[in-house]
Amino acid sequence: MITKLAPFFRSSVFKKQLVAITGLILVGFIIVHLAGNFIIFLGPDAFNHYSATLHAVPELLWIARVILIVAAIVHIYFTIVLTIENRKSGGAGRYAVKTTHGETNFAKKFMILTGLLLFFFLFLHLADFTLGEKTVEQTTLKGVDLGLYGLVWNSFLNPFRVVVYLAAVWCVGMHLSHGIQSMFQSIGFYHNRYTPQIRSASLVLGAVIAAGFSLIPVVIIVRHLMGGPTV
Amino acid sequence: MSRKINLTLKVWRQKNASSSGRFETYEAKGIDTDASFLEMLDVVNEQLEKRGVEPIAFDHDCREGICGMCGAVVNGMAHGPEKETTLCQLHMRKFKDGDTITIEPWRANGFPIVRDLVCDRSAFDRIISAGGFIGVRTGQAPEAHSVPVGKDKADWAMDAAECIGCGACVAACPNASAMLFVSAKVTHLNVLPQGQPEKNKRVLGMVSQMDAEGFGNCSNHYECEAACPKGISVKNIAKMNRDYLAAAIKA
Ligand code: HEM
Ligand code: FES
Repeated sequence: MITKLAPFFRSSVFKKQLVAITGLILVGFIIVHLAGNFIIFLGPDAFNHYSATLHAVPELLWIARVILIVAAIVHIYFTIVLTIENRKSGGAGRYAVKTTHGETNFAKKFMILTGLLLFFFLFLHLADFTLGEKTVEQTTLKGVDLGLYGLVWNSFLNPFRVVVYLAAVWCVGMHLSHGIQSMFQSIGFYHNRYTPQIRSASLVLGAVIAAGFSLIPVVIIVRHLMGGPTV
Repeated sequence: MSRKINLTLKVWRQKNASSSGRFETYEAKGIDTDASFLEMLDVVNEQLEKRGVEPIAFDHDCREGICGMCGAVVNGMAHGPEKETTLCQLHMRKFKDGDTITIEPWRANGFPIVRDLVCDRSAFDRIISAGGFIGVRTGQAPEAHSVPVGKDKADWAMDAAECIGCGACVAACPNASAMLFVSAKVTHLNVLPQGQPEKNKRVLGMVSQMDAEGFGNCSNHYECEAACPKGISVKNIAKMNRDYLAAAIKA
């Protein structure tokens, strides 16, 4: 079994398909995560209730986490392998004149960079909102302990953190502007009419996802400047 | 009306596979705008020979855009700036008097340079040998309707079979991947009824030979499609990916 399968894991096509399938799982997560985060705009009760619901069945939460962690490891491992192989193939930047045929772009060339930046950002992000005990000062707004809602609010009052988060979510957007349509191509879906639409949708979705995540810190700062939440 | 133009050429000169190359600058004077790019190189080579300089080596054969022998990277673009045009069909009227043109060979580890602008593309032949054929004696041409082929399939196979194997896709790919060539050769057989019995063996064999030749992996930049002198679509790459996945699942 193993010896029969081993050649596939060395094949250029199959490695790329593993990246695509794990990419799909990660995209699914990103979209659900964004939708979930938007509940913050419904106020502290709704948001904290959403968080409590997620944690209500720890087994389910852990199944989801394990799937995501495995997908992330496979995705990152094979993208690094593919990128190293591509650097060794005598490709990238080998001509004296740098004109291209006009199809490649910044997002496509820097997939590994936007990806790795995301990977490092993940640790910061988990440390901010998921891991470790938070103090009451961190979750308290105007003298009321608002739990996770308060924690997110207070965190985004630090301009340095806001800049890092905005950079990270625009990395996600750029990664996905190429990644989503790339996924279809790698799996082997091509349709004369739908493929051009998928390519445009990929660009739009990348931008929408980035803009959506950006809205959270931006709205918090604006509301803070206008006098903060009404608690 | 043809005119005469003067150009400055920066050409990659390399003695053989093991020597390191460098750019040399030559003046190309009085080039007829009706000349093809290769005819321009012929004129320059005559001028060089008169000066006792070794002429520039370049590949060519048909000079009518059908054999796939010619090709060089002109100002950063495989086969030059014209869409769906081989180097032999590129004409000097596309350039302006006083232009500087940089001419480089295809660069990819799968295509070692032989001399100047000539590289060794025998990797493509080995990929074809790994499954790019129908492995039975076909005898004479069969009765036209004995094997029905749908119009969509026939058109697709014909479009894929337009590939002349010049290697521009590899040259233009940021990863030096050969996916467009290999996918065209897999697809033009795999969409037809005649190609079905060996469908899986073909795609697995050709992809594995492609990987062994040291080409890079496709990361869907689609530069190949834009560079291809025959307009081969990346649709073929998607089809090959799909056939590969299906063959892998069955294996
Ligand atoms: C939020 C997490 C992530 C999501 C949603 C995501 C999504 C995707 C998707 C959908 C693709 C397209 C797959 C294909 O081309 O078929 C992709 C490709 C890629 N991803 Fe990610 N990714 C994520 C994180 C990362 C990380 C952390 C890395 C860092 C190493 C990374 C590196 C890459 C690279 C280099 C490619 C291009 C592979 C290639 O074209 O050969 N990604 N990603
Ligand atoms: S010389 Fe035959 S295609 Fe250019």
